[in-house]
Amino acid sequence: MSDTSDGAVIRCWRMLRARHILHAYLFIAPVVVLFGIFRVAPAVQTLLYSFYKVELLRGRFTFIGLDNFARLLTDPIFQQAARNTLVYVVAIVPISGILGLLLAVLFNSRFRFQEFFKAVYFSPMVTSTVAAAMVWWWMYNPQFGIINVLLKLVGIREQPWLMSSSMALPAIIIFSVWKTVGYNMIIYLAGLQGIPVQFYEAATIDGASAVRRFWRITVPLLAPTTTFILIYNSILAFQVFDQVFVLTGGGPANSTNVVVLDLYRQAFQRYDFGYAAAEAMVLFVCILGITILQYVYSKKYEIAY
Amino acid sequence: MLPRGLRGMGRLLLYLLVSGVAVLMLLPFYWMLITAVSPAPDIIAFPPKWIPSRLTLEHFQTAFDKAAWLTYYWNSTVVAVVSVGSSLLFGLFAGYAFAVYRFPLQNVFFLLILGTLMVPVQVTSVALYVLLAQIGWVDTVLGILAPNFASAFGVFMIRQGIKIVPMDLIEAARMDGAGEVRIVLTIIAPLIKTTLATVAMLLFLGSWNDFLWPVIVINSTDLRTLPVGIALFKDPYGNINYGPLMAATVISTAPMLIAYAISQKYMIRGVALTGLKG
Repeated sequence: MSDTSDGAVIRCWRMLRARHILHAYLFIAPVVVLFGIFRVAPAVQTLLYSFYKVELLRGRFTFIGLDNFARLLTDPIFQQAARNTLVYVVAIVPISGILGLLLAVLFNSRFRFQEFFKAVYFSPMVTSTVAAAMVWWWMYNPQFGIINVLLKLVGIREQPWLMSSSMALPAIIIFSVWKTVGYNMIIYLAGLQGIPVQFYEAATIDGASAVRRFWRITVPLLAPTTTFILIYNSILAFQVFDQVFVLTGGGPANSTNVVVLDLYRQAFQRYDFGYAAAEAMVLFVCILGITILQYVYSKKYEIAY
Repeated sequence: MLPRGLRGMGRLLLYLLVSGVAVLMLLPFYWMLITAVSPAPDIIAFPPKWIPSRLTLEHFQTAFDKAAWLTYYWNSTVVAVVSVGSSLLFGLFAGYAFAVYRFPLQNVFFLLILGTLMVPVQVTSVALYVLLAQIGWVDTVLGILAPNFASAFGVFMIRQGIKIVPMDLIEAARMDGAGEVRIVLTIIAPLIKTTLATVAMLLFLGSWNDFLWPVIVINSTDLRTLPVGIALFKDPYGNINYGPLMAATVISTAPMLIAYAISQKYMIRGVALTGLKG
């Protein structure tokens, strides 16, 4: 008697579970299929193309082994683009991160019009990079741009900015700091508000100065936030494109050329898809490397807490 | 504690610092607007004219004569609405499946979806372009949409949102005979509407400002989105004319900035909560 009812329960449970599995597959199917076609397949295909000479218009694909990668190693334009990208990443990530942290510390105290100021600092972030860069392109104009005009007013000589191969990359970095610092501030502010006030109170009673409290409490307790900011910003910085396209187009004399811009030119202006695919793989390896770093670090923090 | 006078000084310093940085942050917006509405001689005046000698709309006239801004608006809106809509709908069902069901290969599929975050269009554009050329989607709105019909970020956020919905609620609805699709649409969706709104906002922002993929896949002038329109507005007309260029920039950024001015508190909170942008 109990045997049959147990069997019925198990049968019923199995049926339910089978139905759930069916539902699960149906529910994830659209995302899996769309990503399979438009994300995963092109990623694999890009890897394959990097070993081919691709002549799209003739529909001809010739296997050439590692030739594209060998070319990367000897191509002075790509070398410069890679170097510029590295300089950009190494500059923008710490500058924007540290300024974001300092602003967040300011905003962690209470003062009037705080929400207004916060909104102002964040506003470049919601503006399209292309449009914002267009405004800065005008501001950097050596003759009439407001930046040189202001410098002239305080007695500093006009600078060539985007016209100079030594100043153009720093000018792009300044733009990007303006664009991203508000984001870092908001993320750091969220991190700061998670630190219990008692820590600071206890340290104050023990006679720790503000500077000491900052280095001994704020900085270490914000380590997970810092890791996130470093990683997120680095991944985005390696893909820098929009502002370079608008501000300099990679010039003068390739002094601001970056990997994605070169990839874009090789693929969609010269139709050298195989070579561009090899460049894409270099970019991918950078992103992969940072992601692995993130994984290692987040594991470290799991143990630390 | 610091003496009163010193604290007052600190306060003053704080305000000076905060306002100074605010001026730097706002200067580009102000300069864009002033250039757009100033008569031509004002734009290149020295010392600079912080307030135009008279207001003019001639630059906007020129900008509208030279490019179809309303068409670009329409294209940007269609792309953003469709990609956000489909990402939310597909993300809702996928997020529900990952949060509620246990099924074979669950983690494999989940990691596969999250893994696509590591292959942004910057990496895949070459092969994606070839694929779309083969199916005839190059230079179409569908082409812009192709990599954006679903969002890994959306699936992840929605799954997190659904995970905190009590299982009892879902079980109770099942007892009442509600099908799974109905549960997702009529019970889960309203319960996680804050998550959905945040995801929608961030995805919309990402789509609206996206540049690289649209500029790759679009050739026709009348399929340009706003960022493509503004980036390519500069080149073809040789002589650089900053007035119309800034008018065009105002035209293309105004809706987002107005939307931001209205909902900034909410948008900033959304970013702080999710840590990510679309």
